[in-house]
Amino acid sequence: MASPVESWHSDQKFDGGPVMSDAASLPAWQPQFETWAEFAQPLLPQGKAKEAFAKYPWFTTDGDPFATLAKPASETRFGLITTGGYSIDGEQEPMRGYPTFGDEVPQIRPIPLDVDRSKLKINHPGYDHKYAEEDINANLPFDRLQELVADGVIGSLSETTLVLMGLQPNVAPLINETIPEIVETFKADGVEAALLVPS
Amino acid sequence: MSLIARGLEAAGIPTVLVSVMPPLSSAARPPRQVIRRLNIGATVGRPHDVDGQRETLTKMIKLLETADAFGAVDQDKKKSD
Repeated sequence: MASPVESWHSDQKFDGGPVMSDAASLPAWQPQFETWAEFAQPLLPQGKAKEAFAKYPWFTTDGDPFATLAKPASETRFGLITTGGYSIDGEQEPMRGYPTFGDEVPQIRPIPLDVDRSKLKINHPGYDHKYAEEDINANLPFDRLQELVADGVIGSLSETTLVLMGLQPNVAPLINETIPEIVETFKADGVEAALLVPS
Repeated sequence: MSLIARGLEAAGIPTVLVSVMPPLSSAARPPRQVIRRLNIGATVGRPHDVDGQRETLTKMIKLLETADAFGAVDQDKKKSD
């Protein structure tokens, strides 16, 4: 398997100036993260997540990656990504519910548009599920997006929505493993633009 | 999520992020974001608020069509003090 950095560079089209891969900035960030993880890890079982994340070293990097639509939205194929932490009960392993500090690779659950919604479970402990339980479109807008296709506002939707968990403090496996997998999955499905909905 | 946006853009797929927590989403410098005054867990819109949910999505699509540079933001206006 080609390294993620190489695969990012193999098929990129930039509209602007030089862009540095986020992976290249990881070595400088990693020691800060490790110091923080030592401090934060014991706090979480004590319910002190807020205190722990108040000192989190946010990953920042140079480089302004910016791609633009190749054609109007009405002819573009859209993909949806959410960090709502959904999984399909009985068909998929539930999402790991709590933050991980090691090298665990953040997982993806592909959810088809025509999923049996009664089987969708939210495994995410970090937000109130009451809105989505009342109307799933509050954070997984399947009906609204299909209406936008029907109305000709957008061209089409990818067959599957990619669901991740939020709460991933170690961004290294996300950048090195998960993001290249997202790119590959979307490209295989012909996705030309992505809508990102965090939770 | 902002890092996912950056990774997709670097691979040639334009993205737009909706955020209800701009200090957090902005930290990792997403290429485009629509900032809305909504609750976590109802990032697209309130339950059964069909118009509000659609407004979030159409704002996102519009920003994809109109933004001409990295760091584009469409932010709900704050109520005047």
